[in-house]
Amino acid sequence: MELQVNGRKVYAATGGKEFDAKLPTVLFIHGSGLDHRSWALQTRWFAYNGYSVLAPDFPGHSLSEGDALTSIEAQGQWLVDFLDAANVNRVHAVGHSQGFLCALELAKNAAGKVASLSGIGTAAAIPVNPALIETALESSSKAADLMLQWGFGQNAQMGISAVPGMQPIAIGRQIMVSNPLAVDLQACANYESGETVAESLNIPTQLVLAGQDRMTPLKAGKAMAKTMNAEVTVIDNYGHMLPIEAPKRCLQSLRDFIGSIEHSE
Amino acid sequence: MAKSSYLKPDTIALHSGYVPESDHGSRAVPVYQTTSYVFESVSDASSLFNVEQGGHIYSRITNPTVAVLEQRIAALEGGSGAICTASGMSALFTTFITLCSAGDHIVSSAQIYGSTATLLKHTIKRLGIECSFVPINDEKALREAIQDNTKMVFCESIGNPGLEIADIPNIAKVAHEFGIPVVVDATFATPALCRPIEHGADIIVHSVTKWIGGHGVAVGGVIVDGGQLDWSASGRFPELTEPYAPFHGIKFWEEFGPSALAMKIRAESMRDVGATLSPHNAFLILQGIETLSLRMKQHVANAHTMVEWLQAQEEVTWVNHPEMESSPSHHLAPVLFPEGAGSMLCFGVVGGRAGGAAFINALQLASNLANVGDSRTLVLHPGSTTHSRLTPEDMIAAGISEDMIRVSVGIEDIKDIKADFQRGFKAASRIAGEG
Ligand SMILES: Cc1ncc(COP(=O)(O)O)c(C=O)c1O
Repeated sequence: MELQVNGRKVYAATGGKEFDAKLPTVLFIHGSGLDHRSWALQTRWFAYNGYSVLAPDFPGHSLSEGDALTSIEAQGQWLVDFLDAANVNRVHAVGHSQGFLCALELAKNAAGKVASLSGIGTAAAIPVNPALIETALESSSKAADLMLQWGFGQNAQMGISAVPGMQPIAIGRQIMVSNPLAVDLQACANYESGETVAESLNIPTQLVLAGQDRMTPLKAGKAMAKTMNAEVTVIDNYGHMLPIEAPKRCLQSLRDFIGSIEHSE
Repeated sequence: MAKSSYLKPDTIALHSGYVPESDHGSRAVPVYQTTSYVFESVSDASSLFNVEQGGHIYSRITNPTVAVLEQRIAALEGGSGAICTASGMSALFTTFITLCSAGDHIVSSAQIYGSTATLLKHTIKRLGIECSFVPINDEKALREAIQDNTKMVFCESIGNPGLEIADIPNIAKVAHEFGIPVVVDATFATPALCRPIEHGADIIVHSVTKWIGGHGVAVGGVIVDGGQLDWSASGRFPELTEPYAPFHGIKFWEEFGPSALAMKIRAESMRDVGATLSPHNAFLILQGIETLSLRMKQHVANAHTMVEWLQAQEEVTWVNHPEMESSPSHHLAPVLFPEGAGSMLCFGVVGGRAGGAAFINALQLASNLANVGDSRTLVLHPGSTTHSRLTPEDMIAAGISEDMIRVSVGIEDIKDIKADFQRGFKAASRIAGEG
């Protein structure tokens, strides 16, 4: 669906079903340079199984207008504005990589709105090699190539796909090269308060981490899990792009975790 | 530029789409000779049917062995996804009916494979889809042929039978000004010689029956979605951007972006038309694709030698190959086909229609048949076969002459091919001497 946030048109995927604010809402937050399509194999299930789904494209990304937001803090505040625009008071926030940093900021600014946090392929800090940022400033396609080589695990590099016949690297690349990747990477690099914010939150949290993650290493993810007292699922043999590489296992973790919170209330 | 893999092409051809399965460690891609797949549960089944997850339901739509071939070809071409079909013709038909509905229009190169011309001229015309044929490298003619209802520009990377190279970058530039995709039948070149997506093409079709399979044992086709076209910005494809009723109003572009077209073909044509590649044929074609670049190098080397050698033969009246200076599009060869512009060539032989027939009849190594792209050398005399009912004037209009011999140069030892052709020349010159 399309809505206006701070005067700009924003696109949010709703999992193929009309958004219904009466249902428990799951907010999916994409990572650097990506868009709502990285959640294609999670959002539809939630939308057709008793939830409402919002998977926005951040400003300046894919189907959303506007300039890209330059800090994680601004992106977190934007999520607050986005939920206001959608008239949503309570969400289960799911973030991939940078998207989870934004989810932390959302929770910091609007703790009462966040029923649970799920982080996939993430860590409290996402330091980015300055050379990668420089590359991204010069050429988003070169930077995307580097990210995709590090980001996808060995199976995806061998052309394995969860959707028969498709090539996830090509799909990811096509999305990344037309999005403001450099701005996103810079925002990640500059964000230093992840640890502090994570520590301050008292929200049920789970982290789904990848055994072959070269962008947010497993060790860093596990350290944040400790800080947040989070449930941890480790998916071996996959890389940083878990929602695309191992969609079914990500979905299973999200279903179990979010479902357990919904049913305990 | 679309990129699907960071492996090099020769590695992709051997590995992409498959890692040894965990149960038995089968190194070769197994043949999943099955029609259907057991669901984990009723809810699992329902989520597969509703595209909530990827996976296999029924082999008309997807099959694990076929999927390996699809992913491998997508990786070789640099596409976002691929769909295999029962034949090259069904790949073309599927592409045409996915992008066009009754009332729509296609602009096609005039120089295309005969059955594709018939499909465009007659068969899909019955479905209300019109086609204009243009000399594809004539930019003015191309522009003038594009209408408000035009849904694609179609060409072959190396045209049939004149072996003209399509100026893909320029064709793409023009088509994209109108938001129209360029569909390229790249059968004659294979991704080992040319990857049209890198030159601006949007959708690639192959008859994998030919060089990709390479051994003349299985008929098959493939459609590769380049994933580069913004279907929404184009404004011409509501089928991809508006709700699609049979899947709860799914919007392919919004949900899948760069793989929107491939997903639409899967969800609609493979389901409703079902021109499916069999798992066994996919397996056979996979055996061929593993050596694609090795074979193409030898095909091209042999073709280059034959072109030179034929030009020096007394009995040969003319020779055509896309890289020859006499070919009007030869300047495009180094740009689009740096490794060589394929292994198809044509030549004229003394003695006219009868000379051509005598040449073919005298051959003992090369096979006289209606196929191309086998590892073996194949020859055909259109004047006695595919075009035998045409008058000499109609033949010229079709870009064919009575004396024309079409050769798909194989990878045998070049000395043996030459020796065989010498037999043919003797026979043709006998006819010419009589005449
Ligand atoms: C250029 C070209 N395209 C398509 C086809 C059709 O392929 P198939 O025979 O696999 O249906 C052919 C077959 O000869 C061909 O040469």
